[in-house]
Amino acid sequence: MLYTVGDFGKYKVNDMRSYALNCLFVDLNSRTASLENIPEDISFKFLGGRGIATYLLSMNPGLQANEPETPLIFSIGPLTGSHLPSSGRMNISSFSPLTGTITSSSVGGNLCIQMRRAGLDVIHITGRSRKRLVVSIRDNKVTFEETDLRDDVPLGEVFLKLRSRGAVAAVGRAAFHGCLFSSIMVDGTYAAGRGGLGLVMASKNLVALTVMGNKRLGVVDRRLEAVAAEDIQRLFDASPSIMGVSGIHRYGTACLVDLMASRRMMPTANFRKTFFEQYRAFSAHQISSSAKASHLGCYACPIRCKLKGEGGRELPEFETISHFGALNENSDLASIIEANHVCNDAGMDTITAASTIACLAEIRGEKYTGNVLVDMVRTMASGQGLGEILQLGSRRLAEDMGEPDASMSVKSMEIPAYDPRGAYGMALGYCTSTRGACHLRAYPISHEILRRPVATDRFSFQGKARIIKIAEDTNAAIDSIGACKFAFFGASMEEYAIGMKAVTGLEIEPQDLVRTGDRIFTLERYINCIRGFGKDHDCLPDRFFKEPGTSGPGLDIHPINKSLFEEALARYYNIRGCTKDGVPTMQRLKELELA
Amino acid sequence: MMETIEKYLGKLLAQGLVDSKGDALLFSMDDTIYSSSNEVPHLVQYLFSVLNVTSIIVARPSKLYLEVIRELKRVYPGRITPNDSESTTFIHDIPVLGAMDDNSVAAALKRRKGCIAPDGSIITTGAITLEQAFVTFSSICFALFVKYFSDVLNSSVGSARDEDRKCAYIEPSPTILSMMKPPGPIKRPAFIVPTSENEVMYTIVDTGKATVKSGLVDSFFGNISYTWDAYMYISQTAAALDELEGLIDKVALDGSSTNDITSSSEMGSHLKIHKMTMDRAILHGHPKFSVIMSMYGGDMKFGEKRYLEDIPIVCGRVGGGKKGLVHVLPSAMKESHSAIVYGHGTFASARDSFLDAFERMLNIEIKCFDMYRELVSI
Ligand code: SF4
Repeated sequence: MLYTVGDFGKYKVNDMRSYALNCLFVDLNSRTASLENIPEDISFKFLGGRGIATYLLSMNPGLQANEPETPLIFSIGPLTGSHLPSSGRMNISSFSPLTGTITSSSVGGNLCIQMRRAGLDVIHITGRSRKRLVVSIRDNKVTFEETDLRDDVPLGEVFLKLRSRGAVAAVGRAAFHGCLFSSIMVDGTYAAGRGGLGLVMASKNLVALTVMGNKRLGVVDRRLEAVAAEDIQRLFDASPSIMGVSGIHRYGTACLVDLMASRRMMPTANFRKTFFEQYRAFSAHQISSSAKASHLGCYACPIRCKLKGEGGRELPEFETISHFGALNENSDLASIIEANHVCNDAGMDTITAASTIACLAEIRGEKYTGNVLVDMVRTMASGQGLGEILQLGSRRLAEDMGEPDASMSVKSMEIPAYDPRGAYGMALGYCTSTRGACHLRAYPISHEILRRPVATDRFSFQGKARIIKIAEDTNAAIDSIGACKFAFFGASMEEYAIGMKAVTGLEIEPQDLVRTGDRIFTLERYINCIRGFGKDHDCLPDRFFKEPGTSGPGLDIHPINKSLFEEALARYYNIRGCTKDGVPTMQRLKELELA
Repeated sequence: MMETIEKYLGKLLAQGLVDSKGDALLFSMDDTIYSSSNEVPHLVQYLFSVLNVTSIIVARPSKLYLEVIRELKRVYPGRITPNDSESTTFIHDIPVLGAMDDNSVAAALKRRKGCIAPDGSIITTGAITLEQAFVTFSSICFALFVKYFSDVLNSSVGSARDEDRKCAYIEPSPTILSMMKPPGPIKRPAFIVPTSENEVMYTIVDTGKATVKSGLVDSFFGNISYTWDAYMYISQTAAALDELEGLIDKVALDGSSTNDITSSSEMGSHLKIHKMTMDRAILHGHPKFSVIMSMYGGDMKFGEKRYLEDIPIVCGRVGGGKKGLVHVLPSAMKESHSAIVYGHGTFASARDSFLDAFERMLNIEIKCFDMYRELVSI
């Protein structure tokens, strides 16, 4: 069935100064779509990307992830598609079936660029189709096509089949089997992971979304764009973690393996230890030399931090390597790479997958390594037998098996590969994150470990409450303008604000962008409070307060002092403008123009 | 918090950035504001309420910097754009305020990390730590110094170009010129050729301290390495040269570990310099007159090389990108074991001892200082 919708002719792609975002509302019940401008004041207040999606989700904050009315939102940022380095990113947002919170995921790939070329800032999908659908957007046409793709078709084949239609976002068999942490995969390798966005998409009976456009992004001031791009590039060059000898430009995020091991904060044996003796088996050096790695990356990104091995197979990122490796006490690199591939091909979040298996291993007193580990991942993706419970994540698995303390999660989302006993800002950030245990919402590893832009004492909560709050706001802004967080290992909002001016014509200062991030993050927190979340959910598993990590030469890894943690959390609430129970106050909401 | 405030107050004084402790106010904030004085001025409270920052410094810089600011403000009202490469990279430009009201200060600091108040005081912020506010303060002082003396030099030799605002005509100020002095008193590093890992660490720490103490460089500008056995020991990124204890990375020369992602951004250059010269001791800093004189003779493009007497000057960016120093510096170092990077700083190396590298860096600075005086006929 072919539908022609909207009048794209009215959208002045080159006139970004008006700053009214274009949103395509797609209703899968009626198989219709309509294009609307989001009012200018709202567009400006939420920028795009994660921000505008949060606003749209706040319209009906009590919806459950699997309800047809629940929106699944694809949104790009104002910088997406520009020539500014590392600005080829977008967000996919909804409510999470895994955590019950609002969730969003920043993702690269070509989809954001094709959305820009199709003149779409936002694609807002609601409803549930009776039959499996592929929705294709080509310039100003939307096609709803019933598909006979079977549930168990590998995602690789789906992408192959649809690639002539431009960029593709698709869900795989894990989602259709009910995996709570299923991902939406974009263009084969880029995962919108963590919160179970894949299941939201599958629950709408939407197999894939394809987008192809042919418009060009109008930039208000190309000369200023070039100046900002040059300033950013210079800062990338000066950043050891980006362009340094062993930076992510060379080794991808795998370059963190050695550092996390030497800092004794590599989660091992389901977080019972923080050091894995055999970590060198999966070090960046090992991966690059044995897998003959080559690079790929997001649009306009000089860093190109993604790696693929022989035959074009994607190589895992640091969190995946560490969790399929150390967390499961597995030193078999080939199985780590294969487990990652199975997850991507089935559309499953690798961090939760690995952590759920490690949780099961602890409960059963076993170890799953090598091929056994890979088989376990396959079982998980099938949703059959043991997979039925594994696909629900570690919190539900551990409760079901009568060992709730074995789940290393916050708000039901598994903790990534930075042990909180080795970085106290990270400990706080895992708890205050609005989507469950996420390292990226505040990413204090940047200063606690990588010393960018300055170093902080990783074993101290001093000053961390305000640092975390500011970082959360900054990162919310980054996710909303379409930039990549890794860029901020070198550059700062100062340079991207100039980029914003160049691309959109908007005079917006760096601090105003961070303030907008504050509005977005606070709204996310408020939505979560409406959904029943509060102080009790902002806590780490008891293990981190009771058990030490693995100490090393001259380095003791103690349990976190719970009362110091709680004091820092109380300070955080105060700084964020929340009550003692962690709920944003009406006064704060008003200050941020949210009430 | 108070300990940190005391530390950076001490550093402002020790590095001659302020004349007395009473000239500087330092503030840090978590959920309450900590202050170096008994009171928190209304302006500071206001700034913390509208800016997402954790720290603020408001300080009247020492006499020399204050005079420099007075002169530069006159010719660059509204904004001063530095010309050295470090400042161009990290601070871009420095707003100069016309009024000291809350809104004017906040507006400037919403855009940049530091600004100049109407009375010549410098106000800086740190998004994460007080150290950032201190580094920005120190960077602004450095940038202004280099800008002023470069402009004066260009004015004296007739190459000032008012029209593009890059370099204004500035009549040398007798007050400022009378305050110019060569680096010193010189505290040389202890002469140790290390024979164990511990001695390597000790030597690096000692040399870092001596280099800062001698007034040759400011503490946050520079890096240092020593190669011993199969490893290079190198200062970490964002580490102060005079506080390197515990902040030295041990990097395998065969590249088998990636622990060096926390190492100095110049690690690639250090490795290549060692490889090409076999020098073990490598020292990098930003002695001011070396930086100023490297820009004498006009702009340079990436890859170009020229000489100041026998000192090679090369042009490349900080770090390892396509236009990185790593591509141009090591070959110049092979030539003379020392080189100045255009608008940036000096690298000096020696076979075994930091003392020799230090002497090379010092001699270049003294030579540049003398050349400068001669050119502006002081
Ligand atoms: S750094 Fe990596 S994730 Fe970020 S934009 Fe570049 S390629 Fe994409």
